[in-house]
Order: sequence, then C-alpha cells, then structure tokens
Amino acid sequence: MIVDGHVHIGKSTRLQIDMDGGGLVRIADSIGVDKLCCTDLTALFYDMHEGNRLLFEEMRRFPDRILGYASLHSTRFGQEGLDEIRRCREVYGMRGLKIYSTPEMSIAEPAMIPILEVCAELNMPILAHTTPAECDYLMSHVPEVRFIMAHAGGQPYAHGDWNRAIMIAAKHRNLYLDTACSTIDTGFVETCIRRLGADRVIFGTDVPLLDPWPQLEKARQVRLSDEERAFYMGGNILRLMGVKA
Amino acid sequence: MILDANAFLGKWPYWPVQHTKPEEIAAALNGLHIERAAVCSTRSVFVNWDDGNREVEDAAKHHAEFVPFVCLGTQELSHVWHPAHYDFAGYAARGFRGVRLYPQHHSYHLLFESFVDGILEDAAVRGWPVVLPLRILMNWGMPSLDPSVMEAIVTRHPRVRWILAGVNYLYELQMAVFLMQRYETVHLETSCMMGYAAIEKTMGRCGHSRLLFGSGMPWQEAAAGLIKITHANISTDAQEAILGANLLRLIGESTS
Repeated sequence: MIVDGHVHIGKSTRLQIDMDGGGLVRIADSIGVDKLCCTDLTALFYDMHEGNRLLFEEMRRFPDRILGYASLHSTRFGQEGLDEIRRCREVYGMRGLKIYSTPEMSIAEPAMIPILEVCAELNMPILAHTTPAECDYLMSHVPEVRFIMAHAGGQPYAHGDWNRAIMIAAKHRNLYLDTACSTIDTGFVETCIRRLGADRVIFGTDVPLLDPWPQLEKARQVRLSDEERAFYMGGNILRLMGVKA
Repeated sequence: MILDANAFLGKWPYWPVQHTKPEEIAAALNGLHIERAAVCSTRSVFVNWDDGNREVEDAAKHHAEFVPFVCLGTQELSHVWHPAHYDFAGYAARGFRGVRLYPQHHSYHLLFESFVDGILEDAAVRGWPVVLPLRILMNWGMPSLDPSVMEAIVTRHPRVRWILAGVNYLYELQMAVFLMQRYETVHLETSCMMGYAAIEKTMGRCGHSRLLFGSGMPWQEAAAGLIKITHANISTDAQEAILGANLLRLIGESTS
C-alpha cells in the first residue's frame, strides 16, 4: 500500500491550485497511490474553520482514500485554534495537524506550545512546513509530540538543507522527516533513512503542487528491504495517524 | 536516443556523492540508457574554470558519452587582468561543443562585465549553444540568478542559441516561457522543473522543439529527471524530441 503523506486540496491562486477530492483521487489512481493525507489550502492560509469544513466534505466523499490533516493558518488564535483542533479530531475524524511557518511569521514561538500539547494529548502528528532550527526549538519544549518536518529541509526557508534536517531529527526521537520536495539530490532519501531508520521517514508528493513522478522515482531509487519500503511508503504515516493499513 | 543537456563531472563539495569519477558517471549514463550527456566540471564552477575544462576535455577523449561544454569565467584572477581572449577556435579544436556560464559562482554580473558580451557574440557567430543555469541544481541552498537578469542578458543577445537551465519556481518558468515565445533561439532544460504537469504546460505555450531533457546528474537522481519526460502526457514525437533530438540538433548533429 502506498500512502501519500503530503497532499493539498482546495484553492490557492498563489500556488496556482484549484483541486477537489475527485481530481486528487484521479491523480492517485494514475500513479498507484492508495491513500492521500490532505490539508486544505483555505484552512492553511486563510480561514481554518471554512477550510477544515471543506476538507471534511471531501473526506466524506472519499472515505477510503482521503485522510485529513486539520490545518491552522496561524498560531495566534489562542483557544479558538485549540478548539478547532479538537473539533477536527473529534467531529471530523481528522488524524493530524498541518501548519505552515515562514521567516516573517515563524511558528517557533511560545504561542505554538499549547498547540503542540493539544496534539500530543490527542495523539495527532503535526506536519509542519518548518526549518530544522524551528523543529529543534519546538521539540525541545514538547518532546513527546510527534512532529513531521515537511520537505525535510528541502524548501526555501530551510535553504534546502536536508543534511541539517537529519542532524536535528537525530536529536529528537519523535521528529520525523517528510521527503516531498523539489529536491532530487542524489542520496537525499537514502541518507535520511540510513541515518534515522526507515520508521522515521515519510513518503509524500506535495501533489498538486509538484509532479508526483519524480517523488515516486526518488523513492524507488533507494535501496531498501521490503519492510523498510513498507514503512517509508505508507506504514509510518498510517501508524502516526492511528490508521490500520 | 536519449541525450542529457545538463550533466557534470568532478566532485561535489557540499555532501558526499557516490559517483563522481568519469568512468562512474559514464556507467551511470549507460545504466539509464542515456547515450550522451553535455558535461562540464564542477572544478570549473568551484575552483578554476580553465582547469575544469581540461578535466572535461580529457574525460571526453576516453568516454564517447560526454559532449564537452566549455565553462567560461572571468579572466581577472589574483587581481590581474589576463588579456588573452576567449579562444573559441581553440575550444572547438579541443572538442568543445557549447558554453556554460555560472556568474553566481564566479563573482561577476552578467550585465556589467564586458567579457560576457564578447563570449556571447563569439558563441552566436559559431552557433554554439550557451547554457545559462538559474541554479546549479534544485537545492534551495545553492545561489541562484535573478530571473530579470537572465531576461536582460537574453534580450541583449537574442542571436545566441540559449539553453536556460535550473528553472523551478512558477515565476521563473513564466520568465522562461516569455523568452521562448519572444525568441526562437531560446531553449529550456528540464533538470529543475518539478511542478505538476510543468512539461505539458510549457509545451502548451511553446511547443516541444525547444525543450531539452536535463538531469543534473550525478548531483541529482537522473532517473527522477527522466521520468518527468517519460510519464508526461505528451506525444511520442514530443517525448523523443525532448529526450534527445532537440539537443542533437543544437549541437549540429542529425538523428539519422
């Protein structure tokens, strides 16, 4: 079973995306992906309530294919954000949280700590578009939360530094790396897995922002045992989300 | 026939890479059924451009897989201007077939150094392709050119047979498409194009005759670069052109 741990749904003019669940499932079918872990772009960048509700509707349309990450567009909404996470978990059945960090509005701040604590309490992994330094700060405050560094450093704010991502992940046993990114550096995925173990690295494509084929191919190029591949290509994210394969 | 428009020899200074020797890279090309690859050396990029070119020249003598491109940089070294001109006839005699420039690694500005104009005029006269990479590979830690500078230098030298390389972001691709629509001499290499349906969308605006497969190997997974073309929703003719025929034409060879 292949599970894509990093998928976007909904609308963003900035990212030139307008994609519903039907479109994503068609892409998944065409590339042999069984399940999609989705975050709604409206929830991530504009209105968490509206976007998470839209994602819930898509989860109901495709219950066997779409798993939901609740999203927050900011750490700064206090109790409203914490209540939204609970609602997404308990009412919508979402299994994780997605949040985005930028240099101008970094989530490595005290306002993020209660969010980490709620996710730890609810057993929800957090997929966060963050830098290694931000992950280091956050994991030092709430080490029990299960945290996935989106793109494993392979994004502009992290300067593409997947080597540093590995070093920081090695410090924190609950920090995982998601390999979805534009980077296809030779040895990138293999080094992540060899240094951290196959149970700490998560496959993703970042569809429909990125072409999924290179993401699949860079996974295929890695020399792995069947068990390691099964962890990386889906087992890990399902385990973190508490979903049976 | 598969030809790679953007491969390298040499060493990679930032993290360990398994295959860096010419024979290893030639074997890796063969393993992916890539018959030939336009190469320059990272020694040219990171140490001394002329030394790297000698390395490439030597490797090409021993491996028919390599199509050598000469990497040119500034002649002002150790604070002394070396007035010798760029010897294109000599480069041709040594087997070079095109030019690559890396201003972001060689501390010069494309628009304000007269030697750049001289190189580009010579390349245009010879009909040599000039590879201009926005970035050396798709890693956000690598320095990149300002796309508007790329646009300005192409506009200043529209007769040059340009190969724009290392393009990734949406606005970078828009710049490349704009230039391709404006100038028939502008080509685009694919090694850093990672967006969803990027090949199909670019073809929709510019056709397939000026798109060139590039891998960025051995620093990038060449198989991941190839699959973008082989699994793109495009015709067989377009696929064959992008994978090899377009580059073959650019370096003055035919497919027959």
